[in-house]
Amino acid sequence: MAIKLQGEFEVRKKQQDVYNFLTDPNRFAPLLPDFQELEVQDNKHFTVKVKLGVSYIRGTATVKMELSEAQPPSRAAYRGTGSVVGGSVDMNAGFDLTESPQGTVVKWNGEAQISGRLASVAGGLLEPLAKKNMQNLIDSLKSALEKQA
Amino acid sequence: MSKAKENKKPKRWVGTSLRRKEDDRLIRGHGKFVDDNRLGEMLFLKMVSSPYGHAKILKVDVSEAEKLPGVVCTLTGTEVASLMQPFMEIGPEPGAKIVDYPMAVNRARYQGEPVAAVIAKSQAIAEDAAELVHVEYEMLDAVVTGEDAIQDKVILHESSGTNLVWRGLYEWGEVDKAFKEAAYVVNIDRLHFHRFTAAPLENNAILAHWEPDGRLHFWCNNSFPTFAIQFLAPALGLRLEQIHVKTEDIGGSFGVKITHYPQMAVCALASRKAGGRPVKWTETRTGNLTASGHCNERTYRNTRVALDKNGVIQAIESRQIDDCGAYTRYEPLGAVIWSQVVPGVYRVKNLRIDFAQVVSNKCPCAPIRGYSRLQHLWFMERVLDICSYELGIAADEMRLQNYIKPEEFPYTTPNGCVYDSGNYPKMLEIAKELVGWDRWVKKQQEAKKEGRMIGIGIGTTLDSGTNNFGQSRIINPYAPFSGNSEAANIKVDLDGNIVVSLGSTPQGQGHETTTAQVVADELNIHPDMVSVRTGFDTEWNTYTGHSGTYASQFAVTGLSAVHGAAQKLKKEMKKLAAYALQAKEEDLEFGVGNMGPELRVKGTDKSINYWGLANLVNVNNAGLPNEIAELTLNCRYIYRPPFQIPDLKRKYGNLTLTYAAQLHIAVVEIDPEMYTPKILDYAAVDDCGTVVNPMIVEGQVRGATAHGIGAALMEACVYDSVGNMLTSTFSDYTPITAVNMPKVHYGHIESPSPFSFNGAKGMGEGGGAALHAISAALQNALFEYGITIDDSFTTGNTLYDALVGKKVMQRANNVKVERGVA
Repeated sequence: MAIKLQGEFEVRKKQQDVYNFLTDPNRFAPLLPDFQELEVQDNKHFTVKVKLGVSYIRGTATVKMELSEAQPPSRAAYRGTGSVVGGSVDMNAGFDLTESPQGTVVKWNGEAQISGRLASVAGGLLEPLAKKNMQNLIDSLKSALEKQA
Repeated sequence: MSKAKENKKPKRWVGTSLRRKEDDRLIRGHGKFVDDNRLGEMLFLKMVSSPYGHAKILKVDVSEAEKLPGVVCTLTGTEVASLMQPFMEIGPEPGAKIVDYPMAVNRARYQGEPVAAVIAKSQAIAEDAAELVHVEYEMLDAVVTGEDAIQDKVILHESSGTNLVWRGLYEWGEVDKAFKEAAYVVNIDRLHFHRFTAAPLENNAILAHWEPDGRLHFWCNNSFPTFAIQFLAPALGLRLEQIHVKTEDIGGSFGVKITHYPQMAVCALASRKAGGRPVKWTETRTGNLTASGHCNERTYRNTRVALDKNGVIQAIESRQIDDCGAYTRYEPLGAVIWSQVVPGVYRVKNLRIDFAQVVSNKCPCAPIRGYSRLQHLWFMERVLDICSYELGIAADEMRLQNYIKPEEFPYTTPNGCVYDSGNYPKMLEIAKELVGWDRWVKKQQEAKKEGRMIGIGIGTTLDSGTNNFGQSRIINPYAPFSGNSEAANIKVDLDGNIVVSLGSTPQGQGHETTTAQVVADELNIHPDMVSVRTGFDTEWNTYTGHSGTYASQFAVTGLSAVHGAAQKLKKEMKKLAAYALQAKEEDLEFGVGNMGPELRVKGTDKSINYWGLANLVNVNNAGLPNEIAELTLNCRYIYRPPFQIPDLKRKYGNLTLTYAAQLHIAVVEIDPEMYTPKILDYAAVDDCGTVVNPMIVEGQVRGATAHGIGAALMEACVYDSVGNMLTSTFSDYTPITAVNMPKVHYGHIESPSPFSFNGAKGMGEGGGAALHAISAALQNALFEYGITIDDSFTTGNTLYDALVGKKVMQRANNVKVERGVA
């Protein structure tokens, strides 16, 4: 099952700063909800572990991420694939950055394809959970961006 | 035997509701199922399954799993492919080009397909280790409908280069002429028969033990072991004689346990890799729902029906796509088996069906209860029903106009099948009486005034039993199958007990009981005096290549074999008793005396009991004359129905021996707020010829009714667009239970078959009458709202979408009538 989400937010930060933040897994990954662990392979690849709990399926999702598009300072996109107990997730996420009088407008979109028991057992719960987690992520992102020096 | 017991003896045991011999052990918890088996040094296997409907397998890393203490070994698809040959394909090309291993090699083609296996010292360790197997996939586009699959935009099997498994044109009679001369032509754009499964109480289970000397043992619940071993032996490089399969009690199959030979191969290879230790695999419920077997899904496009001015169907043409899931396995037999019941119960003479079967990214199909005929009979019932409403003819009248008449039996169908006997109008009359038809019609009218939606529907169906395997040649002219056969063995044991072994593999059908009834009648003894071995064992039981329990045939094939073996044994016993008693054979009679079952000289006190006879043959045989010495009191008989190979060009011939019929009437109300259909009343009338055990028959009718109602209203294997099965637990795939069952008014008639020794007809599958009746009842309730019931699965959601959303089931988009064509 596919989950597609998109939105935009504005931060009081310069476009280049936002871009740098979003393409640095060491700063970006810990903001993911229920973040556990990060392992950076190179400047384009990293593996992130996050805790997951939907219905009776609970476990740690290991997601391999790749910075698939890097057009500083206006666009960054990630492609990821991961596994979790009873399922798999394949995802794409993109960020388009434009300067604004207050700082930078971030337009984002994400698409996740959920497969396996996770989709069949927790299918109906996944979309609201994804929306909630995405909102948490955006809030954390804004907060982190605005806090950084 | 006590005097009282003998006095209670009915004239014949066949025809009585003898309590099932099996029930004593089952009710007391003494039944023995596969998972009850424990062998020394036994290991446990856990499959690692694909979460994707369609994906490339980039890497399978089992190293972490193998490091876990307690893990003995692992298997991957690549390794499996190096250890065995692909399974044989039944059909010709292009389907025959499919390469089928029991584990995915390089590509997973349905969710739940095994990609690796972990073998460990305990089930818990195996479960934990399975989570440590890391598989890298690359998700691929999936194809999840037959209509998409046939377009070949996404191809499942590179080796065949197409999703098409088989395609053929079936044409009988003068179709074009019938359409030219028709008074009406009804066009139905699309009908769809959905996927469901059987959900037996006991899931698949296998205990495999590949001994170092090359002998391979299976304790399993496969319900067609003689079919399974014919697939396993060549794939594993063994002779049939090296494979030993044993079944005991089986907690239901309904056909779904016929096709788990791939998992049997995995367990066998695991046992061999583990150094010859026994390996057990017990399927989980989710595993069963996602990866065991589903019924064939079928879509009927561009159906045209020619009718005369009285509503009598003159011709039907249709383009049909059967979706058999990711692998063929039992297929493409489903592409011909439907033609056992080409006209349904109607006198249609002219038909043209363009039939295609395709693979898709869904669970492979299994020959589930009603296999392939069910789908066709639902189609025929929908066609008849839709036409009746379009022409304004009452559905019961329409059926009476079109039924094959009682005096026309034996009736030869347009494709040469011979319906043995039947009386459909009588069944309708009884069902109407049982359900209170007139009362419900009146109530329906009154309810309509209150805005309530009540429908009354009829489903008339067939349960064709005892296949002619020659029909497989219509699919594949080189298929080495034809006819049918079943074996039975009966002996007088050393202690004088009668012991019967069968070629069948019962899963709740009561074979031990009905066999005992037939033998008891032959030998004039009580059925308790007949021991029928439980289950099937390739080392112990007698069998043929057709042996098994499937396709509604035991009452004919199984009991004919039992009857034949009993006849042979009786002849021997008489000959021996005549020698021992110095009497003429014609003066002897069978019965029970003070010393148990015996043969006696009529009108005298001279007798010899069975122990005495067995003693003479087995342990006290010095000096026996030559003509007696050849007797064994151990008699095998093979029953072979009188089939011919069909005319392959015309696709014409007798494909089945008997045709049991069922007629159901359902009264259904649609909740005005939730749109949920609710059954208000229900009647089921059965005609399976001479009834061997009325209690067992009624039980099977009720079971088939439950399966059908579940399928119609509650049970569906639903997939999303990428091949996720969304109904993989009993929370979503809601199997029918006793709580959901309406009270069923049961009735029956007996039209004895002229083609079986006892007049019986196979009837265990039931023909899906409940599905047909519920679709018909919904049609009856909703026609005036512009709804055509075009799918075999209907829920409150679909009815809401139809009635409120006007999104689905819209008659205006699906059905068109050409009037006054002639």
